[in-house]
Amino acid sequence: MGTGERSGGPTALREPAHRVSPRAVRYWVVNGLVGGVLTWVVLFTIYSFLPDSWGRWLGPLFVLVMVANLADVTLEPIVRYRRTRWEVTGDKVFAQTGWLSRDQRIAPLSRVQTVDTHRGAIMRLYGLANVTVTTASAAGPITLPCLDSDVADRVTADLARITGQTRGDAT
Amino acid sequence: MSLSDLPPPTGDPVVPAVAGAEWQRLSPRMLLVHPVRGLGSMLVPLLIAFFIGRGEDGSWWIWLAVVGGALALVAGTVSWFITRYRVTEAQLQLRTGLLSRRVLTAPLDRVRSVDIESTPVHRVLGLATVKVGTGVDSSRIELDGLARDQAAAMRTFLLSRSGVAARPAAGTAYPSQQWADGDQGAPVADGAELARIDWGWLRYAPFSLSSLVVVAGVAGVLAQFGDDVPVDEVAVAQQAWAWVLAQAVAVLVVAAVVGVVLGWVVLSTASYVMTWWNLRVVREPGGNLRVTRGLLTTHSQTVEREKVRGVRMGEPFLLRFVRGAELTAIATGIGSGGTTRVLPPAPRTVVTRVGHDLLEENGPLTTALVGHGPRARRRIHVRGQWATLALTTLTAVPTWGVDRWWFAGWPDWLPVAVLLGVGAASALLAEASWRNLGHALTPRHLVVQTGAVVRTREVLERAGVIGWVVHQSFFQRRRGLCHLTATTAAGSEQVVVPDVPLEVAVRLARRATPGMLEDVLA
Repeated sequence: MGTGERSGGPTALREPAHRVSPRAVRYWVVNGLVGGVLTWVVLFTIYSFLPDSWGRWLGPLFVLVMVANLADVTLEPIVRYRRTRWEVTGDKVFAQTGWLSRDQRIAPLSRVQTVDTHRGAIMRLYGLANVTVTTASAAGPITLPCLDSDVADRVTADLARITGQTRGDAT
Repeated sequence: MSLSDLPPPTGDPVVPAVAGAEWQRLSPRMLLVHPVRGLGSMLVPLLIAFFIGRGEDGSWWIWLAVVGGALALVAGTVSWFITRYRVTEAQLQLRTGLLSRRVLTAPLDRVRSVDIESTPVHRVLGLATVKVGTGVDSSRIELDGLARDQAAAMRTFLLSRSGVAARPAAGTAYPSQQWADGDQGAPVADGAELARIDWGWLRYAPFSLSSLVVVAGVAGVLAQFGDDVPVDEVAVAQQAWAWVLAQAVAVLVVAAVVGVVLGWVVLSTASYVMTWWNLRVVREPGGNLRVTRGLLTTHSQTVEREKVRGVRMGEPFLLRFVRGAELTAIATGIGSGGTTRVLPPAPRTVVTRVGHDLLEENGPLTTALVGHGPRARRRIHVRGQWATLALTTLTAVPTWGVDRWWFAGWPDWLPVAVLLGVGAASALLAEASWRNLGHALTPRHLVVQTGAVVRTREVLERAGVIGWVVHQSFFQRRRGLCHLTATTAAGSEQVVVPDVPLEVAVRLARRATPGMLEDVLA
């Protein structure tokens, strides 16, 4: 069936309107640091149990891990901040995530079943919150990551109000 | 003798104590089922006891088996005493649990499917297990052990009730009335039969991939005995009768191959007969779909018409050679991954006909597909070679870099052989998967075909799409490709169109669900 007809027209999805909270960058840096420290603890524990002759194999591995850590703490948060966007319009939720890859998710509000707000320990320090919207499909949850805490509350309240009015979730 | 003492005037089974909100037990005949199950659970320990018991302290195992069996028996009996169910105005409720009491509920207006299943033990005692699936929860409520006619009545009631609730003007039908005039086990005389087992299809049984797995397992076991054959000694034998022995080995090998093939055919045919005995696919007068089948354990599955959201046609490698295919229905609220097998390996013409009947649209299973083009081909081939790279590195480093342990024995040409062998295999698979890849859009359905070894065509009702995900990996972004995922409540809850050019994906999603993407387009 022709996807060839009507060529022209839009060739991609646009980016959602809103950026996440600027404090998200710092949160991602801290998150990367914590992850890095844990990685090194594990690596050194393993290292201390291995015979010395393995050292020359582990050298390049350690360098690789260090480069990855560095990218995780410096590059990743900045790129992620530029690429992560979200939007709640009158009839749909639209989010874009990922820093190397890109994930664009769309769900009509009429299909939304639940709206959750999640604040992790480090996220609370920076006044951030994730809002997750689920539909009847396990493949379809949409997370709006690292919103300002009060923005998140407002979005949650709005979504709860709107989805409470509609019925029929196409199960 | 007063009138009330007389037995019921007709042969109709009495539907006992159905009225409303009384908590009821499951059939007391289940008390006979539990000992049989207890025996079954004792079987393995008893066998162990038999084999180990030939040593001196086997009695210990026998005691363990007896105690275990007794415990299973007690547990079964207790569970019968504490399990109750009832049907209220709005819900089916199941209460169970000795210490922590649980109440499982299914809202009557959300009942999507009812399955009736009978194992041989159940059938001897005239019992059946009723499984009720709702759109609310992915798990189903299981009433294990109703009398068979009661189970049939229960199904009729639950499904009619769910249909009634869907229609706005219906009054509250009280359960007992519904049950009383419900059908009594001879239900679908006037439904339209979509398919029935045709034993000519048996010729497809050996080509199904699932039976291949079984036979591979048997062959593996036999291969262990094969190790006992003194092949090495034969090879070094240089006496005059070496030739005779070599012939014997050849005969042995041929016999083994014939044995495996025969075993394969017999096993797959037997399992085909057991699973698909008496298969009937029926569209009931109300539109609901019913699939009945089974020789020893009988299954009867009923799904609401609106909840059948699509079908999946599977064509495993071998089955493709003989123009066969399998058919699975994709639905909401039927448990077990949201799919139910409708047809066994059967001629593709039959599969497409029945599939189109289920979809109530002609075309999705036969229509020509749009391929995903040269960019997708390149991406799939490159992705396929990652495994080659990894395996080659994994063999190259120890072969050429390490001269110790058993790596020292690896020949120098090994990495090259791995590179060529795995590379060629990956390229073949990638090419096959690209050739099978495609999508299409019919007036009511989204069609996606994927797979290298097993070609799978998934058809999803466009009205069942409840959202979209456009995913681009780092490499896909460089090639302008994406995985387009249609999310849905039915089946595995998503249908993925892999490696499709971004602009094609956007156009496809836009046309499949008009309006859903209008204001997010670039």
